[in-house]
Amino acid sequence: MRFSFTDDQQAFADALRDLLTKECPPSLVRSVWEEGTGHSAALWNKLGEMGVLGLMADADMVDTILLFQELGRAAVPGPVVEHAAVVVPALGADPAYAGLLDGSLVATAAGFDGSPYVAHAAISDIVLTPEGIRRGFTATDLEGLDHGRRLATIEGGTTEALPAGFDAAAAYDRGAVAMAAYLIGLGERMIDIAAEYARQREQFGKPIGAFQAVKHLLADALQQVEFAKPVTYAAAWSMAPHEVSMAKALAGEAAYRASRSSMQVHGGIGYTWEADLQLWMKKSWALMRAWGDPTTHRRRVSAHVLS
Amino acid sequence: MDLRETAEESAFRAEARAWLEANVPAEPLPSFDTEAGFALHREWERKLAAGRWSAVSWPEEYGGRGADYLKWLIFEEEYHRAGAPGRVNQNGIFLLGPTIMEVGTEEQKARFLPTMATSEIVWAQAWSEPNAGSDMAAIRSKAVSDGDDWVVTGQKIWASRAVWADWCFGIFRTDPTAERHRGLTFILIPLDSPGITVRPIAQLDGDTGFAEIFFDEVRVSKENTLGGEGKGWSVAMATAGFERGVSLRSPARFSEAAKRLVALWKRVGDPSDTALADAVTDCWMRAEGYRLHTYRTVTGMIEGKPIGAEASLNKIFWSEMDVRINEVALQLLGPDAERMSGPNERWVDSFLFSLSGPIYAGTNEIQRNIIADRVLQLPKGV
Repeated sequence: MRFSFTDDQQAFADALRDLLTKECPPSLVRSVWEEGTGHSAALWNKLGEMGVLGLMADADMVDTILLFQELGRAAVPGPVVEHAAVVVPALGADPAYAGLLDGSLVATAAGFDGSPYVAHAAISDIVLTPEGIRRGFTATDLEGLDHGRRLATIEGGTTEALPAGFDAAAAYDRGAVAMAAYLIGLGERMIDIAAEYARQREQFGKPIGAFQAVKHLLADALQQVEFAKPVTYAAAWSMAPHEVSMAKALAGEAAYRASRSSMQVHGGIGYTWEADLQLWMKKSWALMRAWGDPTTHRRRVSAHVLS
Repeated sequence: MDLRETAEESAFRAEARAWLEANVPAEPLPSFDTEAGFALHREWERKLAAGRWSAVSWPEEYGGRGADYLKWLIFEEEYHRAGAPGRVNQNGIFLLGPTIMEVGTEEQKARFLPTMATSEIVWAQAWSEPNAGSDMAAIRSKAVSDGDDWVVTGQKIWASRAVWADWCFGIFRTDPTAERHRGLTFILIPLDSPGITVRPIAQLDGDTGFAEIFFDEVRVSKENTLGGEGKGWSVAMATAGFERGVSLRSPARFSEAAKRLVALWKRVGDPSDTALADAVTDCWMRAEGYRLHTYRTVTGMIEGKPIGAEASLNKIFWSEMDVRINEVALQLLGPDAERMSGPNERWVDSFLFSLSGPIYAGTNEIQRNIIADRVLQLPKGV
């Protein structure tokens, strides 16, 4: 028994963090919001060059789970989870889809969680659905909560058959556990941002982080994020459906708690468009529901435990 | 990452299971917070020690098996699965023992550890004082140097197991001019020393699980100083880390409680009551989360990452989970939740005990301060 990552797995995650610190600052996420694409082609290409997008063609979830956490820390816009965790494992081995591996083909996945909307459709070449592989469609943009994740409906185009042996339930679990890791990254970063603010902002003549009411808000948020981590890592290792569901429920709830506590610590500035915190908050609110909301996943655990 | 047991770990599990199946008393022992129950639990500890199961993570020379922490977790899983008795010497074996191994002299290790492993000496803790609870650095009980001895005067409170234990450990002010965390020394004291009066305190459950200890010019050899004069605070923090971290509350206890809760739901739960079903599932998820979190922490410890302020995250988690598991059980029991015996399956006892968790070993509010200050690097409060 050994519950830890290898040096290689950790080093890849550290390298990704370094890349994202440089290439995906909050100003980039904000510019993606303002351009209305919900996607940065430049950042996407860098992730493709680094191998992040195509890794899951031959690596398993436990090799990549820390990468999704890092992508969440930086609130990376675009269909990175859908592409890397769901579409590449399904289609990456097919030479016709070789472009998925370096990111020259952009893919998203939809319909696995029962949502009628397709996130990132407008900038994607391919949409993987439980019914088939959609291409050449027309996307109608809808206004989504997170502007780094444009929602759409799609119509027209072609639907190609899924590869033989495609397992939609397994695809759903891959999306859910990768989203869990991404949500952990979001939660961790929101707590960091709020802790930094609590060190700087002074009221009553001292930093607000000196007050117990503020300390306890953030300590509780941190606890939820820290306890969601091992559940998510274990789920990535086992890919057992009830463990995946535990991970997605706990990570979604932890990210939500982190968003509420971090916003509260910010006070008035937390309720502004100007504060960068919203880049992480809104993504957490969108993703806690994507690929199964906490209630859906808790019910799946319940069926496993109580039946 | 590989969450499967190795062949060696499985063999260890099988050995522990076989021994426990052959030796665990068929009937539960009376509470160790009663005189008769204390004696029976000491007997049980002797038996455990004779099988070399009382301190599995200790080195063999002191009565252990040199088991790593993962094996210790496996042992704990088997121990709780077997429904084996509570550990009357847990203050010694799980808290003081590791502290002695970390900071004690070779003489102290040889002198104290073997009798601890066999529970020939059962240890009580003596941390708090009437005016030093959460604010432990406000300790006033003093130890005055007199040649080769300390002369100890003062009062300790909430001293678990002190009513029937043999020795106690705690920190005392040895430099009266020093303030707060400085000038404190960690001292080990026989409870039958002249000048000691132990006054039992009945707990919420009615048993005398803890006590006040009055020290009136009690003479203690300086050989009983642990970790050096004036180093008491840092030694105590190491001990407290063991207490809040993995040592005292192994996940198996909660996994078993969650299993019992699921079994109770299956017997009496109303399947149409989805709110209660969700509450039971939530308890199971927390226990599973705690188990996985502990496996991760312990792997880190084996790989050389010391457990620090993160221990406080653990302490809050297990204590709140324990209360929650019991609350949900009482909800399921309905009218039987009002009975102290009979068909309540001891859930009422267990509920009462769980309520001590968020208070002892440093209240959860203090733990949140520790997390905020040391993990999140927030500025010190008032």
